[in-house]
Amino acid sequence: MAMKFGVKSTAADIKKFTSLITNREAAIRKAKANDINPSFRINELARKYHPDYQKMIISEIISHEGADAKTFVFKKADGSEAAFFRAGQYVSVLLKIDGSLVTRPYSICSSPLEAKQGIVKITVRNVKDGFAAPYMLENFKIGDEIKISGPEGTFYYEELRDAENVIAIAGGSGITPFLSMAYAIRDGLEDFNLTILFGSRTEENILFRNELEAVAKECDKIKVVNVLSDEKKKGYENGFINAKLIKKYAPEGKYSIFMCGPEAMYRFAEKEIEKLGIEKKFIRRELLGVTKKVASLEDYPKEAAGKVFDVKVIIGENEYNIKANADEPVLAAIEKAGIPAPSRCRSGECGWCRSKLVSGNAYTPKENEGRRFTDIEFGYIHPCAAFPLSDMVIEVPGSYMK
Amino acid sequence: MKKYDYIVVGSGCAGLSAALELAVSKKKVLLIEQHNIPGGCATGFVRGRFEFDPSLHELCGVGSAENPGGTREIFNRYGVDVDWIEATDCFRVISKYSDGTAMDVTMPSGKDAFVDKMEYYVPGSKDAMLRFFDLMQNIDDGLAYLSSDNINPANIFKEYMPMVRSGGYNTTDVLNALCLPEKAKDILSVYWSYLGVDMDNLSFLHYASMVNSYVKFSAYFPKHTSHEISVKMAERLRELGGEIMMGCRAEEFLFSGDRCYAVRTNLGTFVAENAILANINPDIIFGRMIPPELVPAREKKLCDARKRKLGARMFTAYFGLNKTAEELGIKDYSIFFPQGSDSVAEYNSLKRISTNNYSIFLCYNVHNPDFSPEGTSVCSFTTMFTSSTDFDNLRQEDYYKLKTAMAKKFINTLKEKTGIDISDAIEEITIASPYTFARYLNAPEGAVYGYETREWDGIIARTIEMTMGLDYKVKGLYPIGTNGVRGDGYSSAYADGQIIAQKAMADSEKEGK
Ligand SMILES: Cc1cc2nc3c(=O)[nH]c(=O)nc-3n(C[C@H](O)[C@H](O)[C@H](O)COP(=O)(O)OP(=O)(O)OC[C@H]3O[C@@H](n4cnc5c(N)ncnc54)[C@H](O)[C@@H]3O)c2cc1C
Ligand code: FES
Repeated sequence: MAMKFGVKSTAADIKKFTSLITNREAAIRKAKANDINPSFRINELARKYHPDYQKMIISEIISHEGADAKTFVFKKADGSEAAFFRAGQYVSVLLKIDGSLVTRPYSICSSPLEAKQGIVKITVRNVKDGFAAPYMLENFKIGDEIKISGPEGTFYYEELRDAENVIAIAGGSGITPFLSMAYAIRDGLEDFNLTILFGSRTEENILFRNELEAVAKECDKIKVVNVLSDEKKKGYENGFINAKLIKKYAPEGKYSIFMCGPEAMYRFAEKEIEKLGIEKKFIRRELLGVTKKVASLEDYPKEAAGKVFDVKVIIGENEYNIKANADEPVLAAIEKAGIPAPSRCRSGECGWCRSKLVSGNAYTPKENEGRRFTDIEFGYIHPCAAFPLSDMVIEVPGSYMK
Repeated sequence: MKKYDYIVVGSGCAGLSAALELAVSKKKVLLIEQHNIPGGCATGFVRGRFEFDPSLHELCGVGSAENPGGTREIFNRYGVDVDWIEATDCFRVISKYSDGTAMDVTMPSGKDAFVDKMEYYVPGSKDAMLRFFDLMQNIDDGLAYLSSDNINPANIFKEYMPMVRSGGYNTTDVLNALCLPEKAKDILSVYWSYLGVDMDNLSFLHYASMVNSYVKFSAYFPKHTSHEISVKMAERLRELGGEIMMGCRAEEFLFSGDRCYAVRTNLGTFVAENAILANINPDIIFGRMIPPELVPAREKKLCDARKRKLGARMFTAYFGLNKTAEELGIKDYSIFFPQGSDSVAEYNSLKRISTNNYSIFLCYNVHNPDFSPEGTSVCSFTTMFTSSTDFDNLRQEDYYKLKTAMAKKFINTLKEKTGIDISDAIEEITIASPYTFARYLNAPEGAVYGYETREWDGIIARTIEMTMGLDYKVKGLYPIGTNGVRGDGYSSAYADGQIIAQKAMADSEKEGK
């Protein structure tokens, strides 16, 4: 049986239906043919806080003699505010070095409040046999123009997840995000208790010793414990940061552990933390970077070690034929060839460099596995954390920071 | 310079289906996308050991392999094979009936089950509910007839009179005319938020085509986040000979005379012999991306008439939990927490941060235990803001605090209304706001639903406009996406991409290309 339905009378209902289009036409006809304003307030703000990149000028350079490091004070080139950030986040610095086009992630070590004055500070510690770090330390001058990314990363305090008391384990330049967190607590932007266990080799090596002391004095939520590995001195803890030491400074009840430091520190500290039996969610680690010794990883296909492969890189309509060493991530080979490719974390996690492996094979260390499920299934790689195992063809996305 | 038959700008749901429609029609297609992943809203992101779906709750019109809905038919047509999971219940809602009494209702999918359950909650509702479903079916058939090739107007008035007679009215008017009991109407009002327009302003045809599809075909979601859908569509496009460029942002459309023939991007300029389909909001296309003198007056007037009345802006908190759904006592895939049954009052309360107490809770693991690693689960809470100026001048330091405050409100709502407490199990948390969506999608004000589909700008009015050819825009350039004839939602966007791709091909043919 055919269905019957009406709201009012048949005539009224039909009129109502046809009025849909006459009303639309009338609404459009009545309107003004003004030029269309394509800008929207929320989008403008979003772009300001998440820019493609920020053009900065080096306005000051501070040397940390004993620590073989320098702090670079970047100021927004156009005098505007820098993108606001959460204390603990990093920026990716773009560098052109002898025909290479590389990025490096550096934690911001200044207070987020300073971003409002257009200021972002990073501290670069020298890396033996390094490439970018020695270059920056030697070549950066006041007045140089530098491109950096917006703030990136998720290594910051999250009230709903983390415990109120945070034990920070820092090694060497790994102190930088915690310095920023300490400033943010002092400036009322963050609210948690931060005890920093800071490992340095000797007293002379301690990066930001005065700054840390000062901010701990200013704010009773911050406590700094220096731990010297190569020196016994009064007023300092001695040795490596181990389970016993953490327990000594940890509060009763729940606490979070935040770690940032060199690879060797992570590997040592992780074993120590295991002894404490803390819930996984209370242990946070800043990005690791990728190992320099990929061949030493257990599941690495050893037969590839030492080889050099041919890689065809496709970006848009352009194709580049380059060589790639088995012991370096594919991204490093692309950068050495001076090809602009997107990257941020260089640890396999952020996905910024995600590329399509059209043919060939690559190895991703387990500790750098940050790919989405379907990406793994369909042969996508994160070139910053993928080591070539054969000749390959990859499609790399275009880059906006170059 | 390489030449293509068609270029699709933007790989959102509409962009992906448009590109596939062109590719299965043997056209040479280039798809460009500003990000390094396809999908727009339909994507996934990783935090720690969890993968999250930023947007999809349930996909409309999928249906089973044996009884496919329109959305599955689109995927079948393109040869895209997604690992679908069925969400067997339509929803649970914990709220208040309009008479003030407590409502805690779980509605199953399947017409018969839905009608029976309604009768259980609202005795005496059955006859009216059956009329409701008959009407929705007539509308479904009628809309399908309208988009078929040979339409006979007389037939419309013969076979699809119920559609015509309900078609001009809003949802409240039609539910009243169906003589549904008050409480049944209260329960049926839950769906309004999927379309972001309250029941008094939501076209019944729009509402009915969605509700019928959800109930009839059940809701589905992909096994591994929407990223699975988007990657599979993109991979299929490659197989069909389409090209894809990622990290490729369109800056400007280039014209020869009054005809768009190319797009300039950060990776160079690309030429389309036939047309360009842009998965971009029309105000951005016509306001910034084409020469001002070529913007059609009608388009300017349409923009002015819309008065920037953008639809819902989402605010979502995603949680990776270190306990299973079972351990936490979570049994429902999706729970709606409206303040009450008055959608108009609710709509108005969503204008301000201070009065927004709405949320929809979701836990993927309920139907898909493998969604996250063993011993864990993933859940999310979503609310939306209707046109709101509260975000216009928010300071950054307040923004972070707002995110935390909103997330706390979500967690507390769940706890108060169901006794489920997730607060000690949070291992990962990420919060997306209108800013997040504005930045990532370029959607004006972060309004992922596009312009509100209300009154004269509802989808039926948009459809008639297109069918009558009143919407003529710019030669060689077709906007696609949520501002189109199907409105918001994944399934609508897939359909829109397909419809407009077919239209573009038909137009080209007429031009003799
Ligand atoms: C989130 C995060 C925050 C960090 N914050 C800080 C901080 O605050 N302070 C700090 O000091 N450190 C910090 N680091 C560590 C810092 O990023 C590294 O120490 C730094 O990247 C070292 O760079 P490097 O080039 O000197 O060394 P490496 O990166 O080890 O240099 C060798 C690399 O350069 C490549 N290379 C060599 N020759 C070339 C060439 N010709 N062209 C292109 N590539 C070449 C090699 O393939 C190799 O990959 C942080 C790291 C992360 C992940
Ligand atoms: S740069 Fe972050 S994953 Fe490669």
